[in-house]
Amino acid sequence: MAAPAYPAWVTRWVSGQWRNKKRPPTLRPPRALALADKVANRREQSTEATCITEMSVMMACWKQNDFNDTPCAEEIRMFYDCVAKAEKERKNQNEDTLSSRGNLPSSKVNKLLKRFPQITRYV
Amino acid sequence: APSAAGLGRRLRAWLPRIMPVRWSRYNPSYLEPEVKKEAYQKPLEELTEEEREQMELKAVRPIKAAPPTLSSSVFSDPMISKFTNMMMKSGNKVLARSLMSQTLEAIKRKQLEKYHKAPENEKETIECNPYVIFHQALKNCQPIIGLSNITRGGKTYQVPVPLTDNRKRFLAMKWLITECRDNKHRRTMMPEKLSQELLLAFKNEGPVIKRKHVLHKMAEANRAYAHFRWW
Repeated sequence: MAAPAYPAWVTRWVSGQWRNKKRPPTLRPPRALALADKVANRREQSTEATCITEMSVMMACWKQNDFNDTPCAEEIRMFYDCVAKAEKERKNQNEDTLSSRGNLPSSKVNKLLKRFPQITRYV
Repeated sequence: APSAAGLGRRLRAWLPRIMPVRWSRYNPSYLEPEVKKEAYQKPLEELTEEEREQMELKAVRPIKAAPPTLSSSVFSDPMISKFTNMMMKSGNKVLARSLMSQTLEAIKRKQLEKYHKAPENEKETIECNPYVIFHQALKNCQPIIGLSNITRGGKTYQVPVPLTDNRKRFLAMKWLITECRDNKHRRTMMPEKLSQELLLAFKNEGPVIKRKHVLHKMAEANRAYAHFRWW
């Protein structure tokens, strides 16, 4: 709705008529003065890469041993363990709870708001 | 005249069960078949709680049909089957399987020759079991870290990325097969080429191992971009 019809006292109050001399309304709210049922789409900050330290340790070992796998078996095993752990965590994390940074992605927020919309009128 | 699309749609409505699709058409309640004989020979007391529950579940649920490649024989090996399938061209499984068996025979023959020529003290070190050689060669060929293309700000970077087990196995087999198909003399037979490559890979030598090392070197060179990953 472009310019919803407000009762006259709203427009007068918004224009500040009761405070100043009568002036034409300075504010003409173009949209409804109520919370919308959705938030703006925000680019979700991507999570960091996992297992970087293990990978760099393994690569350092490779550089020393001319990329043979047998002397670096311990580092490779640690890298595999880290990767398996990260994969399991990714599978286990429930998407409906807060992410590691404490944010909910905007799509999920919109879904929740749609279920519990803002009541604009009473019947 | 009826259009081809209209005919196709009507045909699809008339044959609802015969349309080919890529995913499984089984009802989700169907369970996977258990082909290993050892699972059925265990006495009832040895089963754990969850195994007992699983057995009870199998008594009431329908079971999927076992695919023809799945076998309960002691000679069947899932890795060998996978490798045979990757070697197969135009669905010629008979040819692929015969090539695979000839490869294993060639490996055995070469190793036996070495065994009989070797002096007494070295005879234990020579591995004659072609299955062991195959598995070890595949394990030696598997890359540990891969590269994936990630686009940032218009430019595509090769980012080092951990690989899943399936991907590693696939890459190892693919490299072996392409190496044998492309870089050998035109008239050598596939079993001969493959047995040669597998024996070299078993000893951590050969062009496939070199390809794996090249991949590792590239990943090591690009390790600065590792932070571009988001998983």
